[in-house]
Amino acid sequence: MGITQVLFWFLSIMAILAAILVVISKNPVHSVLWLIVVFVAISGHYILLDAQFLAIVNLIVYAGAIMVLFLFVFMLMNLNAETEPQKNRWLKIAGVVTGGALLLVLVAALKKADLKAQIAEMNKGDIGLIHNLGVTLFHDYVVPFEISSVLFLSAMVGVVVIGRNEREQKDMWPHGNNYGA
Amino acid sequence: MNSILLSAIWGIVMMFSGIFTKSKTAIRNTAVLGLALLVIVNYADMAGYHVEIDTHKMLFFDTFGLLGNAIAFVSTLLLVLLSGRDMEKIGNNLAEYFALIFFVLCGVAIVTTFNTLLMLFLGIEIISIPLYILTGSDKRNLKSNEAALKYFLMGSFSTGLMLLGIAFLYGASTTGTFFIDDIWNQRPQVAPVFMAGLLLLLVSMAFKVSAAPFHFWTPDVYDGAPTVFTSFMATIVKVSIFVGFIRLFDEAFGSAQQTWQIFVALIAAATLFVGNITAVFQQSVKRMLAYSSIAQAGFMLLALLALNGIAKEGIILYAAAYSLATIGIFAILIRMKDYTFEGFNGLARKQPVLAATCTIFLLSLAGIPLTGGFFAKYYMLTSVIASGHYLWLVVFAVLCAAVSVYYYFRVIQAMYFKDGEGTTEREPSSGFKGLLVVLAALVILLGVFPQALLSQLSHFIYTW
Repeated sequence: MGITQVLFWFLSIMAILAAILVVISKNPVHSVLWLIVVFVAISGHYILLDAQFLAIVNLIVYAGAIMVLFLFVFMLMNLNAETEPQKNRWLKIAGVVTGGALLLVLVAALKKADLKAQIAEMNKGDIGLIHNLGVTLFHDYVVPFEISSVLFLSAMVGVVVIGRNEREQKDMWPHGNNYGA
Repeated sequence: MNSILLSAIWGIVMMFSGIFTKSKTAIRNTAVLGLALLVIVNYADMAGYHVEIDTHKMLFFDTFGLLGNAIAFVSTLLLVLLSGRDMEKIGNNLAEYFALIFFVLCGVAIVTTFNTLLMLFLGIEIISIPLYILTGSDKRNLKSNEAALKYFLMGSFSTGLMLLGIAFLYGASTTGTFFIDDIWNQRPQVAPVFMAGLLLLLVSMAFKVSAAPFHFWTPDVYDGAPTVFTSFMATIVKVSIFVGFIRLFDEAFGSAQQTWQIFVALIAAATLFVGNITAVFQQSVKRMLAYSSIAQAGFMLLALLALNGIAKEGIILYAAAYSLATIGIFAILIRMKDYTFEGFNGLARKQPVLAATCTIFLLSLAGIPLTGGFFAKYYMLTSVIASGHYLWLVVFAVLCAAVSVYYYFRVIQAMYFKDGEGTTEREPSSGFKGLLVVLAALVILLGVFPQALLSQLSHFIYTW
């Protein structure tokens, strides 16, 4: 068992344990902190797969920005263990049964999967470098890349629609400009 | 490609139209112009005039998808012409609502013509995210807020399932591909990973078309959303996702049909049962229409089950008949003061045109002969019979259609045979009435001369 495999198993166990802790933590802030551990572990996996750029982006965007947003929301809503709503017992049982059924299907599907690739790609090449990623993204995948801008634009318009104050806005912008402000 | 480009560009145009003009009529007219242009460029695409863009085969513009587009665009145009004025009452962001509608149409054009799972995912998301916002656009209404949050949470969850399914399919394909016609790739037997991915995709798509048992969001969301947008969701979005659904299962999983047919049959049976039985017990017409849209989705699932030439013709006919009739009913419903069945009491005496056209639409949804709905349902049933399996489902579907007559006729009964005020919010204009009559005429035309449309359709579909 080389260093790669040791790393792989270490990261995998860390990811799974942290993911379980995300779900079972009573305190939402703890959940978020464990989620950061999950993201770090997954970033480690990306590095093992030779996807360095993806690993860094995953760290910056998910473990960094999005988690900070999560924490802000929790603080603004003042969520803690006491305010967690009590769930119906039957609802919990139903959740466990359906979730368990899904787990069973997924495990059964993956058990029989033939492992074509190795678990890690070491010293294999430069597939994950920004240069190659950029070439692929702007050559083969340029159409989906451009089309995803429609998605982000619609989300932005949505923020304006949801966020704008209905009562004030009639005379707030007499010239009607200024969407971003 | 034409319609994807134009709808995205016109979405931006609508967005900026709010800056340059405060006149709501001008904004509405801009939207109508854009929709008319969309119909035209989509037709041009069918006729062979289109913008040449190398999509790396990620989009494939065949007639089936383009016809789906055509139905969606024409329906939206009719919806805006009929109910555009009612959109002004929802809030002050009229230009943004139209922008979001155009973005949804862009997603629709992608979902009907995708060729890779990547584009399917993007299209579904471009449809979903503006819809979450449109659902919650009536910000002062708590029910609208609740509906939006519910729709958003459940919708994102189902999107997550879809992504997981796509990841499995990617892993199961021998070469690692997202292209739907390569996924199957002549494999001798179904790998478990492939099956898991297929099922997850089936579940998430069934969620998007509100098939039982993934329909729980539908009544609340359709009831809570502003009625104009409910009409938009229940017709245009639903039928175009169906077009994508059939495209996906035909191209990607068509060869494995035996393995998944039973699941689709069970989902169709459950959808027909839940939709029709629950609709019987509703007190609000809007909620009844939400359940009726679930029931109609059950019928459309029959096309997915059969997946032959008749099914593809039929789904286009069904999409047209269902969209026209439902848009008409919703347009009338928006004008009513009271959304319960009692609110329709005595409408025939006050507003004979509204009552008569509403009756035609309801008859079409129930599938009474001489309306478009009859032939639509007939084609769905024929396609299953032609495929030769699951004949019990045909019998069951006919029984459910018989149940549906009850709740559709309750509205007709209220309009014609009960005394009451039947008050509308304001006197409908003659233009509104005229459009309703045109819509009703179209529904009847589809029912009397379906051959005119169908021969065109089969010509298109078999030669593609």
